Amino acid sequence: MASRRAQGDGLTSSRWDGNTEKADFNAKRKKKVAEIHQALNSDPTDVAALRRMAISEGGLLTDEIRQKVWPKLLDVDASDPPPTAAGKDLRQSKDYQQVLLDVRRSLRRFPPGMPEEQRAGLQEDLIDIILLILERNPQLHYYQGYHDIVVTFLLVVGKRLATSLVEKLSTHHLRDFMDPTMDNTKHILNYLMPIIDQVNPELHDFMQRAEVGTIFALSWLITWFGHVLSDFRHVVRLYDFFLACHPLMPIYFAAVIVLYREQEVQDCDCDMASVHHLLSQIPQDLPYETLISRAGDLFVQFPSSKLAEKAAAQQQSVKTAASTFKDFELASAQQRPDMVLRQRFRGLLQPEERTKDVLTKPRTNRFVKLAVMGLTVALGAAALAVVKSALEWAPKFQLQLFP
Amino acid sequence: MASEMESSLEASFTSSGALSGASAFLPPARSRIFKIIVIGDSNVGKTCLTYRFCAGRFPDRTEATIGVDFRERAVEIDGERIKIQLWDTAGQERFRKSMVQHYYRNVHAVVFVYDMTNMASFHSLPSWIEECKQHLLASDIPRILVGNKCDLRSAIQVPTDLAQKFADTHSMPLFETSAKNPNDNDHVEAIFMTLAHKLKSHKPLMLSQPPDNGVILKPEPKPSVTCWC
Repeated sequence: MASRRAQGDGLTSSRWDGNTEKADFNAKRKKKVAEIHQALNSDPTDVAALRRMAISEGGLLTDEIRQKVWPKLLDVDASDPPPTAAGKDLRQSKDYQQVLLDVRRSLRRFPPGMPEEQRAGLQEDLIDIILLILERNPQLHYYQGYHDIVVTFLLVVGKRLATSLVEKLSTHHLRDFMDPTMDNTKHILNYLMPIIDQVNPELHDFMQRAEVGTIFALSWLITWFGHVLSDFRHVVRLYDFFLACHPLMPIYFAAVIVLYREQEVQDCDCDMASVHHLLSQIPQDLPYETLISRAGDLFVQFPSSKLAEKAAAQQQSVKTAASTFKDFELASAQQRPDMVLRQRFRGLLQPEERTKDVLTKPRTNRFVKLAVMGLTVALGAAALAVVKSALEWAPKFQLQLFP
Repeated sequence: MASEMESSLEASFTSSGALSGASAFLPPARSRIFKIIVIGDSNVGKTCLTYRFCAGRFPDRTEATIGVDFRERAVEIDGERIKIQLWDTAGQERFRKSMVQHYYRNVHAVVFVYDMTNMASFHSLPSWIEECKQHLLASDIPRILVGNKCDLRSAIQVPTDLAQKFADTHSMPLFETSAKNPNDNDHVEAIFMTLAHKLKSHKPLMLSQPPDNGVILKPEPKPSVTCWC
């Protein structure tokens, strides 16, 4: 007791700071929750504001909010009855065996303390959802890793809503991964090196010399990092971000992770095995908020349309099918980009401090330029551009430009 | 051969690396590298076999491998320190079609795996072998066939004589083992060590290496490719 008091006295000032910080944090959080609810309750729903909330610090904060906002981000009416496969025996599906194998082995995706019975029930739900979506959309093909995406939705929004959301996601964001072949997936992976090259050519050259390829990022891309991150909170935070953004954002985020680890990468042996091994072991303590903001920043600086040609060049002779993203309908009339524009420009005028640490290690001019855009400010700018592009990408993102 | 194997097994126990970060703890001296790719249907146990060899135990739980995983272990064979790299591949067909071929590059040996309790995984072998042929430049690359899960005696669907016949047809040695059953631990060990010995004895054929750095030269070495930064 006495020692505790003594300790307490000694720590008074820092405790005070800590409390202020905590109070600050709580106030900010409270404010954000209020803003999210306001956007949800406005008529029509302010989807653009919800996108911004999903991108900005902390994302959508709680699963309860996600249950309300994720459907809006995907333009799914949560009150609609969930999709069904009238009278079909889903277990006859050609994919049943593979799905079963993968779901059975996916124990790590469930909360550690969950009773076995409950987990087994959720695994059954997971199989049902996957088979149902495949049955209803014969153009979609199951891939190992799809189950990692579906389980995230199942755990956050429950079976009924997860079915609707994942079906929408599968015919849009994930569409290219679900082609009969993985050629389009490979094409998207080909964006990775050009993005890295834009920011850090040295790192890019090192990785090219090592001939590391891009498969280390495959599971990141096609599971939206659900397969590789063990803390579920990080997974859903990233899902907030990706649901609000252009479908290529996960590859920008992948690039940001590699760039963040530039020193480690360049310290390791310059061969395929060493670099692949290092990069495929994703650190679990990444500074997610910073990286999210950088990914948004990169997206603004190096829009996918500009990278597309480089990516196509990497692809060499491989021909890609037409992109399947183009029928996306999320850019609904309910969104108000003008409002976002005005709000974000106000944000851009605020003074900026945090770019300093980035500026201290400029490797290239390009990196400086990126930093000058600013991390904190850029999140605003990125959120703006990202929201804008999420509205616009549908007609623009057409891989068939590069036969 | 047997005694040679034994001594090298002992040596290898002392040098078995942990699964992750093994390469980080290896001494700076460059050792020769044997690159082995492990292929076969989904759920036949490729991850468990490679984990067993590299980490010395059966993993608590494994998940579907997406793309290609990499494990490594340093062993000593006849006094020479050698790194065995195992490239563990995804079993689902769609991955191997366009994704995996990059990792066939400079492979020194191939391990085909089937699940002894799953006839379908055995029947897939011809297509794996065919695919492998397409990816590999050299035709004399050592290949072995591994039937996994032999501990599940009551569930065996692929009889040994059938598998042996198949292996003979394709001039591969056959091994039946279990990555899980601890009594067979040495067997998994022996499979990879046998392969390593074979690779070592094939040295002039399979590998060429500059005396000073132990890099295994690519079939068409480009001067700019190697760097030890």
